[in-house]
Amino acid sequence: MTPVERRRETAPARPANPLLSGRAALRGLAGFLLAIAFWFGFSRAYEKTFAAGSGAMTRLFESPDVTRLEAKGGEILLDRRDFPPGSARPGLSGPDIHFNFVLLAALFALDPRPLRGAHIARFLAAAAVLWLIHVVALAFQVHSVYATSLGAWSLANYGRVARNFWAAGWHFYLIVGRFAAPFALWWFFGRREEEAALEKPPARRRRKRI
Amino acid sequence: MSEASVDARRRSLRFLLRFVALLIVFYFIVASRPVNDAVIVPFTAGIASVSGKLLNALGEKAEVSGTEIRSSSFGVNIENGCNGVETGLLFGSAVLAFPARWSRRLLGLLLGFLAIQVLNLFRVITLFWIGLHRPALFNSSHTVIWQSVVVLFGVLLFLLWASRERRLSAAPSPTVRDRPRKG
Repeated sequence: MTPVERRRETAPARPANPLLSGRAALRGLAGFLLAIAFWFGFSRAYEKTFAAGSGAMTRLFESPDVTRLEAKGGEILLDRRDFPPGSARPGLSGPDIHFNFVLLAALFALDPRPLRGAHIARFLAAAAVLWLIHVVALAFQVHSVYATSLGAWSLANYGRVARNFWAAGWHFYLIVGRFAAPFALWWFFGRREEEAALEKPPARRRRKRI
Repeated sequence: MSEASVDARRRSLRFLLRFVALLIVFYFIVASRPVNDAVIVPFTAGIASVSGKLLNALGEKAEVSGTEIRSSSFGVNIENGCNGVETGLLFGSAVLAFPARWSRRLLGLLLGFLAIQVLNLFRVITLFWIGLHRPALFNSSHTVIWQSVVVLFGVLLFLLWASRERRLSAAPSPTVRDRPRKG
């Protein structure tokens, strides 16, 4: 037996703590189904909270403060005090912003002991950050509507750079940000330190000088 | 906190920073008009065309025009965000941000993107069928269920690849001294 073969025989076949195993995938599936049930039950109430947060944040930077956001039947109605009375109010889709809560919950369910106190505390911290992300995303969507969808009013009140900034910010959230946010939050809050410790970069092969 | 766990936290943060930076770069590439018009739109039209053929093979009378699939009573337009590219970007950014050899990264990217596209094709066909036969369920299936399933699939593929990568990196590789000598 060569030294290589001997070493291979004594080495463990798998690391003790893989990033993903069959059981973890099953837990993720169960977490996903539970999160969907929870989301369908509470999404309307949740929309009210982040619409209120986003409305307050938008008004903070307005003078005079005219924006009002109201969550109603799965939509966030965008109103301004200076809109002509009787004109239609734009409705923004709530689920498009916050359905990623389901992804966050499913990822946290991958943990071998998802119900232990410390893990739930980390999940709640991640969910709180996700709520803030939803507040900011809705503010971007509101400004994107103001900057690009109100014809002459948009052109008069938003310059070219501002129009691109708000529209690209909202588009970034819609295309990749809303999917990346739960993954990044889980990676940061949800993984145990011993898992992260195993991710060492591959060692560079060194040649021995003779 | 021990030195090892501080080191692990630092590595985790470095991964996240690389992941976010790559995602922003890829987003600007994909969202730029020339790339969108020359690559993304024809690619999406390809997805619509394959989906249309599969739907017809399943007995649905579907017509395809560009990125649209239509029947006599229902139609869908496959837009950016529904073509699997966004999950591909997420997967690609994570694979490229993870410490690994380039050959394994490229193989992972290729196989992962293919697997995501196969699932996305199934998603488009299923959604068309739901829209045609169960229209009341279309919105929730489209926004919440299928989008989450495809993205979750992309994340699980990355974790699977990263687990395998870690196992291969942990396995002992032959050193110069271990190699059999010639002659």
